[in-house]
Amino acid sequence: MMMKSDHSFHLVDLSPWPLTGATGAFILTTGIVKWFQEMNMNLFLFGMMIMALTCIQWWRDISREGTFQGLHTSIVAKGLRWGMILFITSEVLFFFSFFWAFFHSSLAPSMEIGLMWPPKGVLPFNPFQVPLLNTIILLGSGVTVTWAHHSIMENNFSQAFLGLLLTVTLGVYFTSLQALEYWEASFTISDSAYGSTFFMATGFHGIHVIIGTTFLTVCLSRHMKSHFSSNHHFGFEAAAWYWHFVDVVWLFLYMSIYWWGG
Amino acid sequence: MAGVIARTAATLARARPPFAASSLHTSSVRAADKLMPDPLDHATGLERKELEAIARGNDDPFMMKVLKRAAGTKDQPTLIPSFHAERLVGCVCHEDAFYINYMWLYKGEPKRCECGYWFKLTKAEDPFKFK
Repeated sequence: MMMKSDHSFHLVDLSPWPLTGATGAFILTTGIVKWFQEMNMNLFLFGMMIMALTCIQWWRDISREGTFQGLHTSIVAKGLRWGMILFITSEVLFFFSFFWAFFHSSLAPSMEIGLMWPPKGVLPFNPFQVPLLNTIILLGSGVTVTWAHHSIMENNFSQAFLGLLLTVTLGVYFTSLQALEYWEASFTISDSAYGSTFFMATGFHGIHVIIGTTFLTVCLSRHMKSHFSSNHHFGFEAAAWYWHFVDVVWLFLYMSIYWWGG
Repeated sequence: MAGVIARTAATLARARPPFAASSLHTSSVRAADKLMPDPLDHATGLERKELEAIARGNDDPFMMKVLKRAAGTKDQPTLIPSFHAERLVGCVCHEDAFYINYMWLYKGEPKRCECGYWFKLTKAEDPFKFK
């Protein structure tokens, strides 16, 4: 087999996706401003479409380079692991800022909201109803994704498929329940610091749940196409790590915003 | 809905008798379960070459490891494999050294580091060719 290099690193081929991604992100964020200022979502949706197409084609290329071309040697896989760890760390810091905002407003409630938390007039969710079910759902999905991982490592194709399918199902179930909660909420994002902190924190968490569910769905379809082997399945591991991160953020959200803050 | 999922999960996760042992690592596998592909069989390209080299006993096919020096005397210099007529060598003179002493090593010209150890260039074998 002809080897293009005498080293085990992967120097990637020229690709248009970083440029289309940057352009798409620019259009997306400008579109958000236009949405807020002019009540028009067109630019936002256009930016969303460019980002989605970029993500699909970029990650499709990575799957091709790793699975079909065999360019992901052990040292390349190590680099990918570090990349995912650093990315998840940056996301932890992102959520840290929203928790800071929540505790800033709730530990010393201001005069304007009645020197109390929840503020006067705010009806918070009962933490022992749907939010508790959501907690159980995410914890359960952590179990199913671990089951899927062990099945892959133990060469069990069928059980890995079931574990992944259950995890995705639980993720969709969480998102649906949370959407219903948002619809039924007695307060909005503009209802004092309570509404702001609640919807910013749970809203970004919800986006991450959707991203994680999508990642796991892609893993499910890759698994069905036999992209994974029992030793080499980093795409799945990255999705599982991300999913556990999403679960942990929810636990913090539940304990501080829903339970302590309710 | 939650009850249906819980019951399905319980059914699927119920403990099963272990399957017959084989060279693949299998446990709790039912007779009807499909298996994953064999990792070496599944690999391709450079990744496969790396796995094949490791399977043949060479655990450092890309020569990334730090080599431990041999006697390092003028008569028995440490042999440095290279595919070309020259190679950059970095000598870690002693265990607590806080710098690496780099030097170019040329074919046919054994060289001595300032710390006293000798190096000599040798022809490297292609780690990916079958013998």
